[in-house]
Amino acid sequence: MSAGTVLNIRERVSHIETTPAIPAVMVPLMKVLNQPSEEVDIDEVVRLVSYDNSIAAQCMRMANSPLFGLSQQPKSVSAAVVALGLHRVESILLTCCMGNAFPVKNWALDPLTFWRHSLGCAMVCRKFSEQIGSKDSEKAYVAGLLHDIGILANCIAFPGEFACALGRAHEEQLPLDDAEVATMGFSHCETGQALAEQWKLADEIIQVVAHHHDVARATSSRSLVALVHLGDLLCRMRDLGYGYYERTKVDMISDPAWAILKEENRGLDRLDIARFTFELDGAVGEISDLVSMILGPPGSA
Amino acid sequence: MTPVTQTAGPPIRTARRGEPVDPVFLQIRDLVYKVSGIYQPEEKLYLLVDGCGRRIKQLGTRGPREYWDLLTSNPSRDGELRQLLNELTIGETCLFRSPAQIEALKKVILPELIADKTRQVMKKLRIWSAGCSTGEEPYTLAMILLEEAEGQLKGWQFDIVATDLNDRSVEAAKLGTYGDYGLRNTTDYFKRKYFVAADGGKTQIRPEVKKLVTFSRLNLTDDSKMLFMKGMDLICCCNVLIYFDGASKTRVINHFFNNLNFGGYFFLGTSESLLNLNAQFHLIHFPGAIGYWKPSLTGAKP
Repeated sequence: MSAGTVLNIRERVSHIETTPAIPAVMVPLMKVLNQPSEEVDIDEVVRLVSYDNSIAAQCMRMANSPLFGLSQQPKSVSAAVVALGLHRVESILLTCCMGNAFPVKNWALDPLTFWRHSLGCAMVCRKFSEQIGSKDSEKAYVAGLLHDIGILANCIAFPGEFACALGRAHEEQLPLDDAEVATMGFSHCETGQALAEQWKLADEIIQVVAHHHDVARATSSRSLVALVHLGDLLCRMRDLGYGYYERTKVDMISDPAWAILKEENRGLDRLDIARFTFELDGAVGEISDLVSMILGPPGSA
Repeated sequence: MTPVTQTAGPPIRTARRGEPVDPVFLQIRDLVYKVSGIYQPEEKLYLLVDGCGRRIKQLGTRGPREYWDLLTSNPSRDGELRQLLNELTIGETCLFRSPAQIEALKKVILPELIADKTRQVMKKLRIWSAGCSTGEEPYTLAMILLEEAEGQLKGWQFDIVATDLNDRSVEAAKLGTYGDYGLRNTTDYFKRKYFVAADGGKTQIRPEVKKLVTFSRLNLTDDSKMLFMKGMDLICCCNVLIYFDGASKTRVINHFFNNLNFGGYFFLGTSESLLNLNAQFHLIHFPGAIGYWKPSLTGAKP
């Protein structure tokens, strides 16, 4: 990729605007996310969640989803915050904010499809992380949720070019990143990296956004990048992809990401991948429901 | 024995998505998975609830908790698990049962096998339907290959071996007549092209499909006979391994592995897994389906 292309990507991505009401919640939220948990003020989080009625309602709906596994359904925002724990509340809030943050008119990719994949990947990464005994499963959730923000950047900043790439991916049943590179000369990894840097996201998230299709190129947080890479593949194989048939197969244990993940997570070899897959199938319906709830009924956006 | 009562306890709720289920059914699901490799995901949990409900009614057990005791304590345990697995898998079979496996075969596996074998100058495919029941699976495979023979498999030879333990199933399979239920997934295109009307409102598979399939009776634990099933490119064995336990299950799976060519594939039922009983097989994800792969000799991915 030439220096000119990189400049062009940065220039166009810098013009991406979020809808005005949302950043008021999102900016302090990002700050909270980067704080050590003992320094976070619970009342502040409750205030943030309650700031916007629709966001609060969406958070409550998510907190009540079986996917978040609470035995008792919280009745109020503060009860939900206490029951879920701070980090999980933050990731739920982030999910709702992200879903609402962008004007979704005329996207080449159906926003419901995009968010279904992102939320699916978030859920898979969190569960994957829990099952292999990794310490920070909420971080895995956030990384999964944000890994494809480059697609969002492409929909907004490169609408024509990206529509061609997506058309080609559909027609030839190719992985999306391959079709992007073949059509545009770059993929959502580059545009995503530009957007993530512009938003000043944590370095580990930038690594995930930039390298989730080529884990070997990650310069840090390799374990997290590998986890998201595998979670992404699994979602695309189980009806949480980009809405078309990818003519491909995935051999997870032969994937270089598997070996990278194993360096730090000894529990990986005990994972029953088949069962994990079947459990994911059981969550697809609920993930779709949550996304429809966040984005509103089709056509209303 | 639990005394037989007229009313079988409180009614068992049929779980649809989002409805709460008695947690004991989740325990039963785990138990079923552990012994059989068959998993009922949330959305299909009602099948498990319904299946247990039928067994509870037949036995006159008072409810799911008492039924759990039957499933976990001697001497009822083994027999009842077998009965429940029968309930869960019965009547599942039909032509074109697993669309995602069929797509994976057409779009990923066949192109890979074709590329592999073309290098070896061998234009021949050998496929085995193990536990073929009344022929639905092997005939589906035969029709798919006939369709592909007009495209990517032009000029190829293929032979489909279909075996079952049950003589009567094998005889019925050879006849190849099906009712509406067996044909519920078969499109009009395939019905017109590969079937003819038969007696009693049934539909029969055409001779040109039949001649691709060789049926025979085979016990999968018969070691000496299993040694003669070599050279397979694809083996399908759907909801059959549930009938074996412990050591014999491992032995049967090892036979399958040995009988596959390097680079060949193994399919189970759509919600069935090998439970890591053979570490040499690689679990492969295709869109909407999982399968197992015997790595090619070089160990490299094709």
